[in-house]
Amino acid sequence: MRLSRPGLSLALVLVAVFGVCMPVGAGAAQIAKINARFTPERLGHATTLSLGFKLVTPDRQGPAALSAMQLAYPANLGLATSGLGLASCSLSELEAMGGEGCPANSRMGYGSAVVELALDVETVKEQISLQVFAGPSPDGYLHVLVYASGVYPVYAQVVLSGVLLRGRLSIVVPPIPSFPEAPDISMTQMQLTLGGDLTYYERVGGKLVAYHPAGVGLPSRCPSGGFPFGATFAFLGGGQASAHTAVPCPQGS
Amino acid sequence: MRQVRRMRQHRFAAAGLTLLVGVLALAAAAAAASVLNVHDEGHLRFVHASGSVIIDEGRVSGSFPGTVRVRFLYNGEPDVSAVFTITGHGGSISARGTGRLSSPTSPTPSFGGHMTVTGGTGRYTHVHGGGELFGVYNRRSYALTVQAIGKLPY
Repeated sequence: MRLSRPGLSLALVLVAVFGVCMPVGAGAAQIAKINARFTPERLGHATTLSLGFKLVTPDRQGPAALSAMQLAYPANLGLATSGLGLASCSLSELEAMGGEGCPANSRMGYGSAVVELALDVETVKEQISLQVFAGPSPDGYLHVLVYASGVYPVYAQVVLSGVLLRGRLSIVVPPIPSFPEAPDISMTQMQLTLGGDLTYYERVGGKLVAYHPAGVGLPSRCPSGGFPFGATFAFLGGGQASAHTAVPCPQGS
Repeated sequence: MRQVRRMRQHRFAAAGLTLLVGVLALAAAAAAASVLNVHDEGHLRFVHASGSVIIDEGRVSGSFPGTVRVRFLYNGEPDVSAVFTITGHGGSISARGTGRLSSPTSPTPSFGGHMTVTGGTGRYTHVHGGGELFGVYNRRSYALTVQAIGKLPY
């Protein structure tokens, strides 16, 4: 079965062996936990930023489908000045060829996620990989595209679109349909890394030379209480959840 | 009594004349205030970064040659801002400017906007005014090419 929607690259092949399904979780309360980490954490230097979240539904209810999230980070963090995303990858390129079809210099990061499909007999979990690319900018803001790809038990590729605003990254999660009569697939965990082991290319003296982009710029000063991060999650059906954390200041700062 | 009255009249007349001369002198000075036609361009090198702030320095050439130090802020908003000081012969001029970045995913996006003088030193202590600010931001090397254009009374 092949499904497609505007703004959504979806090729969904289902292994329909999970029995009768029952939509659950649309209005269930979600508890959010987030984490953030700089590697290395040297003030005034470039670093790799890892951001993650985990959504937990209490009382054994199925997870609600995530529709949007807003990840807040310190406004003076050098994401825009990271040197990441020196080219852009279009949605059509991603849909047609996946991450391999994107320019190397558009790659901004990578990660993984866990999606869940709540059925009446069990909740099926799937590990998916994430690739983060810079998308075209129609409005002067930095746009990102997150290419999510899963293989088993559900084979699917989905593109999440986001925009980098001052101090926050807003990401829209499209509905991820599973199969008729079944609830949408829910993203319950995500771990994203911006920067890190990326290879870019630049032309030097007519030759293409590989290099590693610097990464996210850490401010020279660490605020009291550490670098604050927050996240707000919106779910289909109207529920919301939020969480906060802070990256402690490095020792001696 | 008449002599005293005359003396007072003379004093008033002298004071009035002095005041008039003073006013005229000020007006003349104001009319003769110098204007610096700034049309400078600099290719700057990256010095330091702190989060979303980049510090660049370098030489500028043009009508007010010297050295410049720029504090460039790009936090993801389409508008970037810069605070800079050009130090040339006889003093320095400080200004701040904002501009809109052309294409954030370009390796070398350009920006253009306005600048406002915030102060000066030396013979430019009273400099004021503003102008236009253009530039190119190299997202790989963090180098900046900046161009400042303006008529600055001082």
